[in-house]
Amino acid sequence: LGGSINRRRKWDIGKLVYMENISPRDCLRRWKNEDSGENEQESDIEQEDEEEDFFKKKDESGPVTLDYEGDMEIFTPYFEKLEKLVQKWSSLDSIKDRFIGAPDLNETE
Amino acid sequence: MSSKTPFVAFQGALNFRLRIVLATLSGKAVKIEKIRSNDLNPGLKDYEVSFLRLMESVTNGSVIEISYTGTTVIYRPGIIVGGSITHNCPPSKPVGYFVEPMLYLAPFSKKKFSIIFRGCTASHCDAGIEAIKWGLLPIMERFGVRECALHTLKRGSPPQGGGEVHLIVDSLIPQPVTMHNLNRLTISSIRGVAYSTRVSPSIVNRMIDSARKILKSANCEVNISADVWRGENSGKSPGWGITLVAADKKGWCVFSEEIGGAGDIPEDIGVKVAYHLLQEISISGAVCRNQLPLAIVYMIIGKEDIGRLRITKDQIDERFIHLLRDIKSIFGNEVYLKPVDEDDTGDLIAAVKGIGFTNTSKKIA
Repeated sequence: LGGSINRRRKWDIGKLVYMENISPRDCLRRWKNEDSGENEQESDIEQEDEEEDFFKKKDESGPVTLDYEGDMEIFTPYFEKLEKLVQKWSSLDSIKDRFIGAPDLNETE
Repeated sequence: MSSKTPFVAFQGALNFRLRIVLATLSGKAVKIEKIRSNDLNPGLKDYEVSFLRLMESVTNGSVIEISYTGTTVIYRPGIIVGGSITHNCPPSKPVGYFVEPMLYLAPFSKKKFSIIFRGCTASHCDAGIEAIKWGLLPIMERFGVRECALHTLKRGSPPQGGGEVHLIVDSLIPQPVTMHNLNRLTISSIRGVAYSTRVSPSIVNRMIDSARKILKSANCEVNISADVWRGENSGKSPGWGITLVAADKKGWCVFSEEIGGAGDIPEDIGVKVAYHLLQEISISGAVCRNQLPLAIVYMIIGKEDIGRLRITKDQIDERFIHLLRDIKSIFGNEVYLKPVDEDDTGDLIAAVKGIGFTNTSKKIA
């Protein structure tokens, strides 16, 4: 079956992190199975697209931040564009379990 | 020059402060080469030199050699002594840039740290006062550093600055406590501070209102306070900004911050920070991305015991990999990342064995 095509090496992030010959950006790519030029795995296609987007965006922001994407000299971490965040958080359902508060009064609505 | 002590060599200006701090904690000499060697303005920047001067004044016996072009630095750390000093920050970086690395060193000093920093108190890409006070000091508390405080004596917005903050760390501990946190954060309250210097206080309220509007649907307590500075203590330039902190019942927290720049609208900044906070909450394990380096370093220099910290996949970014690599090259210690078994969130547990560091200036028993 097509199993051999999709069989891609599963990288162990714990090891990948310490392979000095691989740049951090490549580490993340390999770990997230984002090697270009190969067919995507069937599962999580959407999610991976999103993640690839995520990286492309990062690359495009190059002129300003140059190669300092991984630089901890810059305290503020990387965030996606505001428009994207607005869209993503138009509903807080996905992180509802991260909050505890007053009992939800709107739930009955 | 004696070449007896081997250097740990680094290249580039990346993670400059962290590398110097780790070198100081480990007592190993470092050599950082090729600092912006291809830049139009090669070598160390004024703020980095200023940081090295600060390191020199909080340690005893440090030797810093800077090459003629400023592209190579050799740093041989002395012991951390602390004490009361005043540091004038250059206008190019705010006080947060200098306070942040001090947090790594302060608890392991001979004398208590009491440093007054003068200069700008905010910028777009460095730690703000509130971020340190509400975001980083609580992390230190988890590791047994209970008595630390950052007092804002004067605020000073960029570009002119004129602010003054006082960092006091009173707890001196032999080493950080081994810490385990295997739970994701569950936010019980959101606090915040919106400040302004030399501008109309209505800006503060506009930021608060817009941020509250976004966070309303989170359905938990939101409490953002206004902090308007006037007169003498408000520095030399107009400015404003907001910091939001989402905390759980045990005191773990996630934060986001932003300051207003030229042409920014207060509502926009409030909204932006609120969304950043939500995003940060969604990708945080036990700590948020800004707190991760501090937590991991404290775990590394802990007792010879295994500490555990839950992190999410999203938190493994380039910064994190650089951090772990730098730690390995200085301490020789690796962080083990193993998947969480109990649930299918895909989170990881960072298991760290401490190196058994002891505060050299502490008397034993």
